[in-house]
Amino acid sequence: MGQELPLQEGFLTTRVDAVVNWARSNSLMPMPMGLACCAIEMMAFAAPKYDVARFGSEAMRFSPRQADLMIVAGWVSYKMAHTIRRVWDQMADPKWCISMGACASSGGMHRCYGVVQGCDNFLPVDVYIPGCPPRPEAVIHALMDIQEKIRNQYSIEQDGIYGRDMPVVAANRPTIVTPDGEHAISPAGLYTQR
Amino acid sequence: MQFLQLDFIRSDRGLQIMPEKLTNGIKAPKTLPFEFVPQEAETAVLNNPHAKATTLVDDVLDAMEASFGTAVLERVVYAGERTVRISTDSLLEICTWLKETQGFTYLADLAGIDRFTEEDRYEVFYNLVNMTKGKRLRVVIRIDEESMTAPTLCDIFPAANWNEREAWDMFGLRFEGHPDLRRMFMPEDFEYHPLRKEFPLLGVPGSMALPPQVPTGELTQDPFPAAHGSKTPWSFEEVESEDDV
Amino acid sequence: MSIINNTNFSETLKFWPRHNEAIYRRLESKHSWVENGGDGAAGDPLENEMILNIGPQHPATHGVLRAVVKLDGETIQGCVLDIGYLHRGVEKIAENKTYQEFMPYTDRMDYLSPYSNNVAWCLAVEKLAGIEVPDRAQWIRMMMSEIARISSHLIWMGVGLMDAGAVSMFLWTFQAREDIYEIFDEVAGARLTVSHSRIGGVATDLNAAGINLITKFAADFPAVLAGWEKLLNRNRIWIDRNVGIGHLSAEDVVRMGMTGPNLRGSGVEHDIRRFEPYLKYNDVDFIIPIRTEGDALARYFVRLDEMKESIKIINQCLDKLKTLQGPVRANDAKKSSSSKNEVFYSMEGLIHDFMYTDTGVAPPKGAASYHAIEAPKGELGFYLQSDGTGNPWRARMNSPSFTNLQALETMMEGGVMGDMVILIGTIDPVLGEADK
Repeated sequence: MGQELPLQEGFLTTRVDAVVNWARSNSLMPMPMGLACCAIEMMAFAAPKYDVARFGSEAMRFSPRQADLMIVAGWVSYKMAHTIRRVWDQMADPKWCISMGACASSGGMHRCYGVVQGCDNFLPVDVYIPGCPPRPEAVIHALMDIQEKIRNQYSIEQDGIYGRDMPVVAANRPTIVTPDGEHAISPAGLYTQR
Repeated sequence: MQFLQLDFIRSDRGLQIMPEKLTNGIKAPKTLPFEFVPQEAETAVLNNPHAKATTLVDDVLDAMEASFGTAVLERVVYAGERTVRISTDSLLEICTWLKETQGFTYLADLAGIDRFTEEDRYEVFYNLVNMTKGKRLRVVIRIDEESMTAPTLCDIFPAANWNEREAWDMFGLRFEGHPDLRRMFMPEDFEYHPLRKEFPLLGVPGSMALPPQVPTGELTQDPFPAAHGSKTPWSFEEVESEDDV
Repeated sequence: MSIINNTNFSETLKFWPRHNEAIYRRLESKHSWVENGGDGAAGDPLENEMILNIGPQHPATHGVLRAVVKLDGETIQGCVLDIGYLHRGVEKIAENKTYQEFMPYTDRMDYLSPYSNNVAWCLAVEKLAGIEVPDRAQWIRMMMSEIARISSHLIWMGVGLMDAGAVSMFLWTFQAREDIYEIFDEVAGARLTVSHSRIGGVATDLNAAGINLITKFAADFPAVLAGWEKLLNRNRIWIDRNVGIGHLSAEDVVRMGMTGPNLRGSGVEHDIRRFEPYLKYNDVDFIIPIRTEGDALARYFVRLDEMKESIKIINQCLDKLKTLQGPVRANDAKKSSSSKNEVFYSMEGLIHDFMYTDTGVAPPKGAASYHAIEAPKGELGFYLQSDGTGNPWRARMNSPSFTNLQALETMMEGGVMGDMVILIGTIDPVLGEADK
């Protein structure tokens, strides 16, 4: 709200959070980064039988500017990785990433020179889905996991701290200190469940 | 409890005659080979159940030998297929002859092979098809490691274009006269030729960079940053910089 | 003013600068030269040509295909394709796996019809090692390959029409695909990437539930297809978008080495099922649809008719399978995996299973052979060279999408941007297979 310091947690922000999170989780617009066979199962997940429209995610937006959930479906080659990262950077906050399938999560069966061994080497992934390809029910489960993750976020504060220096935030929040005096969780980690 | 004395069992292979030992009790097997000895091609299967009629092209090979004599170096027959090895210099001549007089107008496939021998390390095979008469022939040339060049087939068979580019990308074989010899699959910045036998399966670490971990950062040179403990930061954790638009 | 000379690619692009420079250089060298316009300093923007980069992330590129086009208004003057965004080096992986271990990789090549890739690989290995496949297995393989053909053409139709604007077709064809997925689920255990075919036969025989599902599908599908035909075959919009687009004469397609429905849409009568019959295609009655117009509409009709012929083949297979009993895998333990009964209840079977998994089929040293099938996209062939061990020395995959995509560059030139999606759809590439 135009202040220097981020908002403190309180009754009002948690109520607003609840509404904002409810809206965000029920209107996720996936950006399908459909690369390979998992893309076919992702299309099946949007198809009538495993209808994803009932979760509010029917509008598959291929433009990163209009999407907030990127589903990396298929193996990521080194050449493609830069494109994916660019597309991810173009997406507006808040955004989440699902790594669908074994190949996107860890390289899968493709342990070779051309495949990045997991898209978490260059993307911050929220939910991983195992499977080769995962059944559409598994992708729906991952979507529901993301919805739960969103509902547990301190959204207003997170939107407020974007781009700010971490120490300012850390001064106002309790930190968890282990017996050796180290921070066990990074200050940013207190805003979302990692 | 004894197994039922049945002649047939229904297994996942379908109906099968019960192996003898199940009806007679446990018996030591007669032979138990623990090592496999590779066979030579000469002792191979002569009557292959999958051999096709299209590869019976001995008449074409005889005509080729009659016309080109010494350029035809070797003829191999296996599984009903005919492979003819010719000298690299006569490739264009023989292919033109095959296309114009013998009717092999369709190039089905072209690729390189790394034989990993001292002499004549690389091989390039051409899979030619005569659609009207129903014939398929394989022509092979050998290239040694010093020269690494072969004449291009793009003028005779334009279908060879991308296949030769792929052979350049994967093996480093240059094709003289190719209109556009660029890499096919790997980016131009990549410096190796992956299908060579000495190139490791997992690649050379550092040969291809990963994207930066933050938009304003440097390219990640380590191919396994997640395994080495680095976690890509969330976008709301990134510090705002003047470059941000 | 050439864009190549005025742009320092290492500054503007942080990744793959030499790669992108090579692509722009190729685009420039194909035609006269490329204007660096836009600010008014180098000239009137309306007089200049624009370089547009399409992909690799794009909803209509059938996977990750990148096309850099030079546009004059809406007309495409030059086009350079950049593939390799899905390259994983599967030929190199093959050199490190046994023939049976490699089966799942073939699923992921043409992932729209995985069963036919499995069958192609099995046939190639069986030809190399001289393994005879029992009849029942051949009929099962043929039937499942035709179901895979229908499933691939369904995606072609759904995605092609969705790209052209008719999104409902996508939903309908995917609903039909779900029926096919149920069949694969019942018969092979997996929906998409099946790996049901084994060297020497198939993994398991069909059970009654599977046969019922296939019979029901073969009975219901023609009516569904007829409904779509009623919508599309005389549809003014669909016909106008397709007629005359991507015209290739018979000489062109043979010269450019294209394969599959692209050949048959231009009048060339070439289909591996008739050219080099494999499995039991000689014993079934079906025609090969051929059209002579050579444009996108002709290819649309060819694929539509192929689906109907596939149903005919499936019905004949079902009839034959009712009466033909027998094993579904070759009985040679060195050439095909042992049945589970033997593995679990006999010492020999256990050892054979171990040896088969560890070493696998070991064709004679120096042997080399090529076997092609008519995959839904075209001629899918594997050229295998053996060195006497259980791993191939060289496994070359001749994928139809790779050979078909070569022609896309020439097809795009002269067209307008709106035709691009139709052209990509009519060639029907799958980038997983094109990029190996």
